[in-house]
Amino acid sequence: MLFSVVRRIAIYGKGGIGKSTTSSNITAALCERGLRVMQVGCDPKSDSTRLLLNGRRAPTVLDSIRDGGSPSLDDIVSTGFGGSLCVECGGPKPGTGCAGRGIIAAFETLERLGAVDRYRPDVMIYDVLGDVVCGGFAMPIRNGYANDIFVVTSGEMMSLYAAGNIVSAVRSFSGSGYARFGGLILNSRNVKDEGRKVQEAAEELDTEVISVIPRSDTVQECESKSMTVVEGAPDSEQAALYRELASVLLSRSKDVAGGLKGF
Amino acid sequence: MRIIHPRPNPIVAAMYTLRDLNVDVIVVHGPAGCCFMASRMLEEAGVRVVTSGLKEDDLIFGGMKPLVETLQMVYEKFKPKVVAVIGTCSSMIIGEDMDAAIRQAALGCTVFSVNCHGCTGDNTTGAILAIESANKAGLLSDEERERQTFLMNAATSMEKRVGMAGREYLSPTRGPTKLAAAKRILDVLRSGGKVCCVMLAKKELAFRFADMFLALSQARDRLGGDLLLLGNLDTGLGLPRIRGYAEAITSELKENGVEFEAVGGLDEYALLGSRMKERAETYGPDLLVIIGIPHAYPELSAGQLLVTDQPRQLANYLSMGLDAVGEIASHSMVMGAKSIVPLETGDTIRELLG
Repeated sequence: MLFSVVRRIAIYGKGGIGKSTTSSNITAALCERGLRVMQVGCDPKSDSTRLLLNGRRAPTVLDSIRDGGSPSLDDIVSTGFGGSLCVECGGPKPGTGCAGRGIIAAFETLERLGAVDRYRPDVMIYDVLGDVVCGGFAMPIRNGYANDIFVVTSGEMMSLYAAGNIVSAVRSFSGSGYARFGGLILNSRNVKDEGRKVQEAAEELDTEVISVIPRSDTVQECESKSMTVVEGAPDSEQAALYRELASVLLSRSKDVAGGLKGF
Repeated sequence: MRIIHPRPNPIVAAMYTLRDLNVDVIVVHGPAGCCFMASRMLEEAGVRVVTSGLKEDDLIFGGMKPLVETLQMVYEKFKPKVVAVIGTCSSMIIGEDMDAAIRQAALGCTVFSVNCHGCTGDNTTGAILAIESANKAGLLSDEERERQTFLMNAATSMEKRVGMAGREYLSPTRGPTKLAAAKRILDVLRSGGKVCCVMLAKKELAFRFADMFLALSQARDRLGGDLLLLGNLDTGLGLPRIRGYAEAITSELKENGVEFEAVGGLDEYALLGSRMKERAETYGPDLLVIIGIPHAYPELSAGQLLVTDQPRQLANYLSMGLDAVGEIASHSMVMGAKSIVPLETGDTIRELLG
């Protein structure tokens, strides 16, 4: 096996908080800089990479292995904006089976197929659903898949609550040499006193707010064209903010050698 | 206390209980190999045990389809009257809705589910779940449900107090041969002494332990002495299949001219120790032989002779300085038994009699 040196970043947050939009803009911004980025959507809804693929839906890893399927990497890795490598884990219909077990199986498949050896990404971005609900959704944190964990939150109480859970999960695993927590990303929802609330939460969690993304119509305009802001409105202030966020993530994460799992 | 030796699990306990309820087919909703040792033994006993054979796909996407298909196959193949679907660790962790599958399969017979898995605690928790599910399905009266639940809890608390469940680790042992034990019994009878044999048998194991009654009767007839046989063989107590065991054993003993007193039912072994002890003490034997689950008898002491089928329980007795022999692997011999199965101790007695 070849060893690649990879930034291994996971972005967590409560469902609907803007993780996928944020992740996709980060990926797009990194791709612009000439980096090779693989974004892995870890949500049964499988729409993490939609903006990178201009509305196309990537085939999911779990659908590809269902019923004894033996996919090749070409079947499950789609190329999106800026050469971004887009992967969706997929999962069961809501209310059936086990999405967490699905994430585990999807990761095992990517590893078995040697995704990192083949594509040699500089950065892996895991876009992970919500609260850490079970072992499966903690996979990126454990087992060396991701090394640096960031949480997207708004000033809404439930979002901050979810952020707290994720931080405590990361910290409980970090003793075993797994991922470390890198900070909060505030995705503004125009909640009253939002900045102060998130700042206070960060202090309580003994961490920092590493970036503030203001609410902007540009995001919705680009989303309606199935594009990231970086692609759809490259000269906008919002695009500049995403580029800055991408730089912050790079400066706050570190390279780890390995295959899909780092060492 | 952390108990680390391997021990019975709630899924298997639930399956045995379903057998006692005369369920025709048990569908194990889980991976193909789950509980297969127990399943094979239950098949020997005439129960059909099948698996839904869950695979990785089913764990991720849900196992409804394989379960529905398995149920339909079962109905076609076995024409059952009563089918039970039993959960396992894997299917319950992913939250399978077995009742939905049962509704979807729409078989023309009684089908019910038991939502049990391996991590519910003591093995009796599985048996109690099976009893409760059967009660809801109308197979068991409320009264018998209460009685069974009480008995299971009594058995568990006994095992924790004086049995294997109260020890961190016990390694299995085969123990001494049966020669010394058999000679001791025969010496007492030969010298005109009194032997009392108390059988506290756990359900189907009575098919093997009852052989001691046969062997002791033969010995008394040949050598003299006096004999009191006490067995938990009341034919009016317990689930249908268990009563059937008591009836079969009782009639075989009677055919062979063996006289014994029935004290309680085959499912009451954990509770009968004091009654047996009271009766035995009134008799005042020179030798007391306790067979089946000897630790259900209060205050075991040196000088008594214990016969168990469990290799780890045997190690437990021997480590306590008690006089015991093991009838190892009895369980596999009695699965599906319709008549009494010879004990090694019984055979040794017969051999010494010549």
